[in-house]
Amino acid sequence: MATSQMPKSILKKTSYPATTTSKEDRDRELALYHAELIQQRKDIELEILLSTETLIDYPLATAPYDASNPSPADAKTFKDLLRPFQPSDYDALIVERNINERCGYTLCANPPRKESGGGRWRMVGKHGKGKDFRVVDKKELEKWCSEACAIRALYVRVQLSETAAWERGERGENTVKIELRDEPKSDSDTVVEGLEKLELAGDDNIKKQDTAHLALERGDRGPAARIGSVDVKILEKEIQRAPEAPSLEDQDLTERLDTMHLALEGHTTSFGCNRYRRREEEEEDTDWKL
Amino acid sequence: MSNEEDREVKQREAGNRETARLWRAWRTVHELVQDRGYILSEAEVKISLEDFIHKFNSGDGNIEYASPHSSSQHFWIPELTLLPNRKSRMSFTANPSDEMVARYSNPVTARDPKPAAPDVGPIKVKFEEGDSIGIKNMRKFAQELTAESFHTGIMITSVNITPAALKIIPAVASETRIETFLEADLLVNITHHELVPKHVLLSKEEKAALLQRYRLKETQLPRIQVGDPVARYLGLRRGQVVKIIRKSETAGRYASYRFTV
Repeated sequence: MATSQMPKSILKKTSYPATTTSKEDRDRELALYHAELIQQRKDIELEILLSTETLIDYPLATAPYDASNPSPADAKTFKDLLRPFQPSDYDALIVERNINERCGYTLCANPPRKESGGGRWRMVGKHGKGKDFRVVDKKELEKWCSEACAIRALYVRVQLSETAAWERGERGENTVKIELRDEPKSDSDTVVEGLEKLELAGDDNIKKQDTAHLALERGDRGPAARIGSVDVKILEKEIQRAPEAPSLEDQDLTERLDTMHLALEGHTTSFGCNRYRRREEEEEDTDWKL
Repeated sequence: MSNEEDREVKQREAGNRETARLWRAWRTVHELVQDRGYILSEAEVKISLEDFIHKFNSGDGNIEYASPHSSSQHFWIPELTLLPNRKSRMSFTANPSDEMVARYSNPVTARDPKPAAPDVGPIKVKFEEGDSIGIKNMRKFAQELTAESFHTGIMITSVNITPAALKIIPAVASETRIETFLEADLLVNITHHELVPKHVLLSKEEKAALLQRYRLKETQLPRIQVGDPVARYLGLRRGQVVKIIRKSETAGRYASYRFTV
């Protein structure tokens, strides 16, 4: 029998809101989004390369400044340029400086030490304690002008972030705070540093940090969060009645008190209880009786 | 033979070896440039070791083919290595032939009646001296190329270039195209090996005809990487198609095509 009525579909109705944009538009948007991420990464890589190039010729200031007392301007640029660096980038900088006959420590103007004689290995620490004794590659020693410079350079290296700059996110980039082993010794600089540490407008900062944490929790990392693949709005839950502290008289609570010590993050595992319950049920079960 | 004499002979031999190495790299790179379609004379490409030494041995004519010590059969070659700045003089330039320009030209189509000029130009080849090649050397080479408006530059080094210096290449890609080769990789011409089939670069028109003929998208072709030794030899660029002609037992010749990625 043919009816004029259309058969009712048993399929679930598409509950998606009708998208205003066509598929092409969305694809384009997505492609642009990813292209932007790649571009950002390339920009940062280029920045690191240019910084390396600049730092090869450091320090710019000559006497009376030296590695143990660098000029404040040089030290500041050095620290600023080093922010996006990873330890591997820093190693590349050291290699480049050595090629140009400079000590591996960026704020040192001396040429690196030249080990005389052949052989690949050198013994270090022959006159101190036994534990100081090491056998090191000659090349390692030829990176620096002195032991002190090696320490200074590696002191900086360990402060660099292992995460790539483009994955650090907006705030992470600024948190890399590099300290030199021998900070420039001048009064004005220390004052400036002290001012920097002063917390002004702390509230704003905390808010920013919270957003960053939320982004991290969502799985958005790095600059991705900035563009925001997901638009999240946080609304405060409105509470009508005044809050009450829980009390022992509460009916609900007294019931739970017995098992409260078993609760794991609010959930009570019913591992053993279940079995008992099942046995009880079995006994009660009388279906098999004729 | 005394110790000193012995050492002298060893030094000379080492020098000769170095000279021979340089000569072989020099010849291979000339063949490379010629195979890509630049204009070079046969005399330039097929330079003999003696001529090579003569050319780069400061030109004071002190080449002695007969050793002062031994019989006339044994001749020694003056050490090229002992000359300072020998490598700095080892550079040459070449211009693309008309045929090469045609191969790189963009076809006139209905959509694009006035296509851009072909992306080729004069090339400069330079042997870079030094125990280590860093950012500075690379930057200097790039500036040199830009200043003298060379389209392509080939830098030949005896040691590996630092990774940081290699990053300069994409950074200056908009101004000039830099390729790097190791001397050791140029000692033999790999395309002359019997197991390496002939690679021929297709022009844009030929590529379009090929895709039309087989009704293909370019991505449906087999691929060859830009870093492939032969691709590096021919200076292939992303998007180009090479025709590879193999010998076949049954068919005589067998052609396949590869898309550069």
